[in-house]
Amino acid sequence: MDDLTQDRIGQLIDYIMKNCLWQFHSRAWDRTRQNENIVGMTTKILCGEPVEAETPFDKCYWVDAVCLADAYRARHPWLTEMNADGIKTLMTGLLERLEYLTVTGSLNAELTDQHY
Amino acid sequence: MPYHEFECSKVIPERKEHAVDKEPGEDLTSCLPKGYLNTIPGSISERGCAYCGAKHVIGTPMKDVLHVSHGPVGCTYDTWQTKRYISDADNFQLKYTFATDVKEKHIVFGAEKMLKENIHQAFDAFPEIKRMTIYQTCATALIGDDIGAIADEVMEERPDVDIFVCNSPGFAGPSQSGGHHKINIAWVNQKVGTFEPEITSDYVINYVGEYNIQGDQEVMQDFFRRMGIQVLSTFTGNGTYDELRGMHRAHLNVLECARSAEYICNELRVRYGIPRLDIDGFGFEALGNSLRKIGLFFGIEDRAQAIIDEETAKWKPQLDWYKERLQGKRVCLWPGGSKLWHWAHAIEAEMGVKVVSLYTKFGHQGDMEKGIARCSEGTLAIDDPNELESLEAMELLKPHVIFTGKRPGEVAKKVGVPYLNAHAYHNGPYKGFEGWVRFARDIYNAIYSPIHQLSELDISKDEIPGNHGFVTRRMLSDADLSDEIRNAPHLSEYDGKFDCLAALKDKTYPEFPRRVAAAE
Ligand code: SF4
Repeated sequence: MDDLTQDRIGQLIDYIMKNCLWQFHSRAWDRTRQNENIVGMTTKILCGEPVEAETPFDKCYWVDAVCLADAYRARHPWLTEMNADGIKTLMTGLLERLEYLTVTGSLNAELTDQHY
Repeated sequence: MPYHEFECSKVIPERKEHAVDKEPGEDLTSCLPKGYLNTIPGSISERGCAYCGAKHVIGTPMKDVLHVSHGPVGCTYDTWQTKRYISDADNFQLKYTFATDVKEKHIVFGAEKMLKENIHQAFDAFPEIKRMTIYQTCATALIGDDIGAIADEVMEERPDVDIFVCNSPGFAGPSQSGGHHKINIAWVNQKVGTFEPEITSDYVINYVGEYNIQGDQEVMQDFFRRMGIQVLSTFTGNGTYDELRGMHRAHLNVLECARSAEYICNELRVRYGIPRLDIDGFGFEALGNSLRKIGLFFGIEDRAQAIIDEETAKWKPQLDWYKERLQGKRVCLWPGGSKLWHWAHAIEAEMGVKVVSLYTKFGHQGDMEKGIARCSEGTLAIDDPNELESLEAMELLKPHVIFTGKRPGEVAKKVGVPYLNAHAYHNGPYKGFEGWVRFARDIYNAIYSPIHQLSELDISKDEIPGNHGFVTRRMLSDADLSDEIRNAPHLSEYDGKFDCLAALKDKTYPEFPRRVAAAE
């Protein structure tokens, strides 16, 4: 991954870490589900693609995605100049990094507890 | 791992893994202290017990309930004077506290008979109250008193009453957090689904993990009502027992304090299919985003936006007045559990202070993850600190103010550091837009109160200056400000009322027509 992409992923991750709570649900499976759905929907919104959000669960991911996409657009003008393929590549990298920070590389010993 | 070893704790080597410095380049995969473990012998913890976490934190804010401790009267210590979860039911839950007053003879001969007499006496003394919660304590758990069986007998004898039993004695977990967990699960197992609530809106939420500290819940409920949202229940501040039995009918769980109440949200998600939306009621940006998300969920984001615009226009200039005067002030953010992450970033971004340390008494590693993610580099993060470590940290970091509980707060005062009550607040509520300004005002008053300069003088050796008058906060805070900021016409001090809740009492709310087809 080139330095520019890495730097941009760092900026996007920093916003999530400082302002969002959805990536820190209780258990590993909750976090992966949240990360994939919200980052996935945010990617679609940023690319101008339609998002299906019919069930209450999907709506919940969608509201976080809408707010995240708005914050990204407002803070990072370079995003609006990227094409859809570029955004998708960037957001794939972001999801990988987020999964690493909150799930696979997490030091939180409670993440794998089978009960809530 | 960038562990921080305290000089005072070198004799307790296990403590080393409970504190870290967030240094440049560190992230959550390299920098996280241990958490939610039994307190290490020799380290005098500031934690509460699991009974306290169940009763005093989560159960007792319910406002229309007789709350009974089954145990020695000492367990009820944290009731009248330490809690500030008010209610609009004339604070019944704060005014009256009940304990069975177990003595040595009951430990020998059993306390069930006495418990049953006490339950009847309490219901007889308050005939208008038909709901009760009973909490197990260490002594009664150890002698094996079966509170559930007694409660069932009473409910048979008095068919109009309902009793909830919480089996969370003090030893049922490392800290009060064990009690949070136990009461969450007990409530969803025993009570949710046993009452059918009336649904009056198309938009129905449970407001979860909110305890109405100095009126926080009433402030947030005002926003929800202005949006036409029905708050079906609040878990548990200013909440009623029967509303909380009807939690299964909400469309959305809006979760504020995940530390104390994520368990019930997770269970409601799995058992009843109600999604969980984590929100922040503290800070203009976080609160605005939270209202907007709830609005988006229901398709009424315009109502949320109208509130955000109105409140921001009114209160932002006052917040910024304080921000100008709090720039760079060093803060130790030392609350119990969730406020370390609710506040860490918001106070830096919106009040200009610098968080130099955060700690949690009973939080889990998940809370530290959120806190460390949100604080900036150079912050010292401590899990379950002992008093000596707190003193050493203050010596090292020289904070201008600390936000903590009243017991460690009094210790800080003794070494000349002002403190604000992070649990019960000083002049709250702190939630809401106005509340956030009230918090900023409290910080300002704490840091700039002239009393600190006087109190640090030792009359036995220091020279007491008698040649000048008393200074004011304003003289201290504005000394280094530019004229432009000092006289900025668009900024002003907080001008709200002493009791900012009074106006909410008789407020009328807009009626929004319901969508007929959606009538559940
Ligand atoms: S630890 Fe046990 S005895 Fe002490 S307050 Fe808690 S329940 Fe009561």
